[in-house]
Amino acid sequence: MNRFPPAVPRAVARVTDSALGPHQSAVIRIGFSLTWLLFLLREYPHRQELYGPDGPWAWDLADQFVGTNGSFTALLWSDGQGWFEAVYALAVLWSLLLLLGWRTRTMSVLFMVGVLTLQNRSVFMGDGGDNVLHLMSVYLVFTRCGRVWSLDARRARRAAAARARGERPRDRVGPVLWGVLGFLLLVATLAGRMDGDRFIPVLLWTVWSAQALWWLVGRRARTGQPRILLDVVANIVHNGALLVIMAEVCLIYATAGWYKVQGSRWQDGTAVHYPLHLEYFSPWPALADLLSASGTLVMLVTYGTVAVQVAFPFTLFNRRIKNVLLVLMMTEHAVIAVVLGLPFFSLAMLAADAVFLPTSFLRRLGTGAARVRDRLRPRGGGPSVPGPRHPDHGAAGTRDDGTAAVKALPAPGGTPPPRT
Amino acid sequence: MDAYDEGSNARHGPAGPDPRRDLPGPAPAPGDPEDAPSRRTAPPTPGVPADVPPVPLSPPAPLSPAAGGPGGPPGGTPVADPPPGPRTGVAALSLRYRIGAAVALAVVAVGVCVHLGMTFLHVAPANTVSKKHRETIENWIYPEFEQNWKLFAPNPLQQNIAVQVRAEIRTADGGVRTTGWYDLSAQDGRAIDGNPLPSHTQQNELRRAWDFFVATHDDDNRPVGLRGTLSEAYLRRITVLRLDRADAAGPGGLVERVQVRSRTTNVPPPKWSEEEAQAPTTPVYRTLPWWPVPEDEARGGVG
Repeated sequence: MNRFPPAVPRAVARVTDSALGPHQSAVIRIGFSLTWLLFLLREYPHRQELYGPDGPWAWDLADQFVGTNGSFTALLWSDGQGWFEAVYALAVLWSLLLLLGWRTRTMSVLFMVGVLTLQNRSVFMGDGGDNVLHLMSVYLVFTRCGRVWSLDARRARRAAAARARGERPRDRVGPVLWGVLGFLLLVATLAGRMDGDRFIPVLLWTVWSAQALWWLVGRRARTGQPRILLDVVANIVHNGALLVIMAEVCLIYATAGWYKVQGSRWQDGTAVHYPLHLEYFSPWPALADLLSASGTLVMLVTYGTVAVQVAFPFTLFNRRIKNVLLVLMMTEHAVIAVVLGLPFFSLAMLAADAVFLPTSFLRRLGTGAARVRDRLRPRGGGPSVPGPRHPDHGAAGTRDDGTAAVKALPAPGGTPPPRT
Repeated sequence: MDAYDEGSNARHGPAGPDPRRDLPGPAPAPGDPEDAPSRRTAPPTPGVPADVPPVPLSPPAPLSPAAGGPGGPPGGTPVADPPPGPRTGVAALSLRYRIGAAVALAVVAVGVCVHLGMTFLHVAPANTVSKKHRETIENWIYPEFEQNWKLFAPNPLQQNIAVQVRAEIRTADGGVRTTGWYDLSAQDGRAIDGNPLPSHTQQNELRRAWDFFVATHDDDNRPVGLRGTLSEAYLRRITVLRLDRADAAGPGGLVERVQVRSRTTNVPPPKWSEEEAQAPTTPVYRTLPWWPVPEDEARGGVG
């Protein structure tokens, strides 16, 4: 067996043997899909004006514009009303299913398709919140974000329990879903609808092929080795994506903070006064006046904002300070949601911040949510959903519940060690 | 303070270095960073295995992929359960497969580093490195990874820019009449007042359409490139839609031409500051030429 200096294999094992941050990735999955879902529902009455074929940013304007940048949007595949309504409805459905964690990987891809399709159709309707969702919807595709707090986790537990009873649970939905989506992808590709920038089409085909590979390997491989390898690769990709998401959040704060440092209004301590008095960002003028009534307070908030934004990335090296700043930033975003009338921007940023929440807090949150749900649901009636269980607490802390269940219940048809 | 500065314009469509910010600067013509031919043929992380792919259809039911751990062989020969549970991870791999894992790790590590580096250079101020590799960076970032996080920075916007429109109406009896100015931004402002959930149609549509117009027109209001033309059509259609809602044409009337102007006023400095209100305290107008409105548009073709 190979011998490295001990720290190297430990680090390698950490990023290869487990998908880190199962709760963090689940909470951002829920956060981003919820933000987009609420946004789509809120804009439902305005959907034609925002993204419809006859809206101000008319279909042919968008078509010419997208022709210059090749961004991905399925809405330009047809200028029909029916297509538009169907796409909007599907985008709603996909956000909901991703929120629930049903076929999470597939839904994360479809969620991305929904986000990109609508946003790229009318790029001038968006703001910072849309920008965050746009990026994160792409990054989420690479993560294993349905390992806790999801219908998938529940299904995995049930399948494991069924196997423990000696049954052989079958999944018919997965292959059907995969087949239908593959067919649609093929049609779209052959029809030349994917001729813009190559990144998204390649990503779609890659995920689709990877799912086939996963399935085949799970079924056909003679030894456990290929399957373990795929699992390891999935972990590596997940951990890489999670790192990118965290770094992206840091870049957002660093950019916002460092550019402010150069601004005279942020230097003289009056900056916060101005947005509060812009017509487009002052839904509550009286509240804005109240908040900017004291020069000292405005100066403190102005300096505090810059300091927190600049400092945040560096505080990641100290857990306690990081958590303090996290609370400050999340509070500020909650305030912005109301005071500046930017609820969806704030919600997206809160979801992004949540990737840095400590696991212990998220677990308590999960337990609390489960308790609330149990209280709402009459005991004993109906099949009870197991609460959001946590990955085991040990070193393999991120192995998901299914595996844990398999461990707990010796399975007759079970799983011999793949190691030979 | 983290909302959106110069107006929450996160993305503005790819086009060289931020068309809006380089104000009058000519908008990048149609053929910009766009179709860089063989871009990123390989996404940073090839071979993304599915988290929740179709579970094996048939018997052995090894371990549903959702269950994360590739477990036993599909043969499914009942074997006594191993006390520590199924082995996973690199330690359980033979050398051949370990090499595969190492390659995957290297590819992902490189992909992550490159992506983060590109993103950093995209959001950082123009510098030695980003100027030298401008094209490479743009090919990587556009169109899907474009971003702008100068939130209220370097300075928050300190002006209210109202977009106003008036119309020339062909009336039912064949006469022509010119309406007064409709302050569309003020309408937006009223719609936002006391509204906990402002719509993008109220908060972003007109504001960003005006930014787009300004960024793609020269000082004489001449469009620069395709984007300039598109931005005019966009702005015109917004005004026609709003005029239609206000029933500006009246019964039997038809909007034949529209004229748009912006009215810029400074946000006064706070009362407690010792600063004098900046001159000019009077509004500054930018008035665009009259634009003809295509008939189908005027007859309710927008919206």
